[in-house]
Amino acid sequence: MIDKNVLRQRFAEALKAALAIIFLLPLFFTILVSFRPEAEPVTNGNIFFGSEITLDNYERALVIAPWSLHYINSFIFVAGTLLVQLITVTIAAYAFARMNFIGRDILLLIILLQLMIPSGVLLVQNFRTINMLGLFDTRTALMIPYWGSAFGLLLLRQTFREVPIELEEAARIDGANLFQVIRHVYVTNSIPAYLAFALVSVSSHWNEFLWPFIITRSEEIRPLTVGLNKLIKTTDQGAFYGQLMAGTLIVIAPLVILFLLFQRQFVESFARSGIR
Amino acid sequence: MPARLRQKSPLAFLQPYLLIAPTLILVLMFNVVPAFRTVNDSLYKPARGLNAAGKPPDYVGVENFRDLFDDSHYMGGRFLRAFRNTIIFALATVCIGVPLGLLLALLLNRRQPLLGLWRFAVFYPSLLPLIGAASIWSFIFSDSIGLANAVLKTFGHPGLNWLGDRNLVLLSIIIVNIWKQAGYFMIFFLAGLQNIPRNIYESSSLDGAGPLEQFAYLTLPLLRRTVLFVVVISFTFAFQTVEQLQALGEGGPADSANLLLYLIFQNISERRNWGYVNAMTIVLIGVVLIFTLSNFLLFERDETNR
Repeated sequence: MIDKNVLRQRFAEALKAALAIIFLLPLFFTILVSFRPEAEPVTNGNIFFGSEITLDNYERALVIAPWSLHYINSFIFVAGTLLVQLITVTIAAYAFARMNFIGRDILLLIILLQLMIPSGVLLVQNFRTINMLGLFDTRTALMIPYWGSAFGLLLLRQTFREVPIELEEAARIDGANLFQVIRHVYVTNSIPAYLAFALVSVSSHWNEFLWPFIITRSEEIRPLTVGLNKLIKTTDQGAFYGQLMAGTLIVIAPLVILFLLFQRQFVESFARSGIR
Repeated sequence: MPARLRQKSPLAFLQPYLLIAPTLILVLMFNVVPAFRTVNDSLYKPARGLNAAGKPPDYVGVENFRDLFDDSHYMGGRFLRAFRNTIIFALATVCIGVPLGLLLALLLNRRQPLLGLWRFAVFYPSLLPLIGAASIWSFIFSDSIGLANAVLKTFGHPGLNWLGDRNLVLLSIIIVNIWKQAGYFMIFFLAGLQNIPRNIYESSSLDGAGPLEQFAYLTLPLLRRTVLFVVVISFTFAFQTVEQLQALGEGGPADSANLLLYLIFQNISERRNWGYVNAMTIVLIGVVLIFTLSNFLLFERDETNR
């Protein structure tokens, strides 16, 4: 009986290790190939290391796109989106959580339509709207469709409802106005929900490709993902995979490191983004 | 008491509307109104207001839709292939990716040494930008120097044309998608598993239930909601997939691996096809709407029942 349990345990361990190795292989070889001389592909006998470890691929990848600029652009895109979201979502969540007004449910339903019709699938029409507003190829155009967030609203409305109403009443008696109540009673008691929202928002916009690709032309404001696309398209003609892998690592490194540092928070936030 | 007094002034009456105004206006601008305009424009050819020559667009009724579902029409053929591919893509992800995510969650649910490292190993793909993931796999699948073929060759197989063979491209993209999503699905299963009380298992093992019975009769039924949720999101994701294709074959030879949103994206600058683009968008929205709506109804009902 005990033997059977030990066996089962061993099997689970082996399965786990095998799966982890399969999942890690692409990353592992991306790193290897980025340090191999371009002329020595993995199929030439030696699968792991080339004749030397070289930084040539990184040097060439760095020339193709202005990566530091793309980094700054991605940062501005993500931060600018999140900052405005935090304000719009907070005030709307308070109204829906704690105020009674005519048409409340129907207005909430309209906002929730965003979850069912994501702006990402409305490419053509949103492209037109941005052009009509004269915002084509601006940073505002990148961010504006995301400034209202139904997901954030739902998450915070739920959290705000769990804040005891007595806290608000006490603050009102002490003479706090509406914004003081929201800030000192609701925001301060909902920090984990804000953190969850921030991580989901940041990681999804950091990875966003299609909208920035369509709505911008100038290198000066395009984010990392669009820079990587350019590298992919340059590589297509000559199959310089060493260079492409080097560039890919430049782009994915920050989020991977961020995840290594804040793993628990990431896992919890992503779980929250789904069910409750 | 003071709150009630304040509600009588006109400003107080307006207050909630002012608070929700920014969110409401943005959602109307970028989600609701464009959705209605898509419906309208899908009835014109080419879409309204896009004629540089000033020629008014023709109202054609549902003709754009009829063309889309006509296999012999140049756009219909492409649309039907992309639509079929998208459904295969979604189904394959669900059938393989979801059980894999559950398996990973079961393996990584307990406290164990190096747990953080194990979780990183399977979750990191879901954090990568899709375009970065696709870029990595473009090397793995590359014809002459790729890793996949290097492995096949060590087993004496001549190697496959992963991104060029019209029977293989869709499979290649599905593999990438499963690799990318399984860790993300795992997160939801981990959360679901944590909500199952431990003592249920203890009492059932006292009754003589083995691990397989426990999984079949306890874990799986208790995770029903989570499974359903994950299936629904993986379907809606599949209908919004674009980036992988950008780096992996661009829809494959003769659209053999094209997906719906990528086909829309490919035609966004083809003015004469804008009527079709709008009609395809309607189909896409329709599918996404059905899935998210069913998700919403299922879980909202569950919430209220509790």
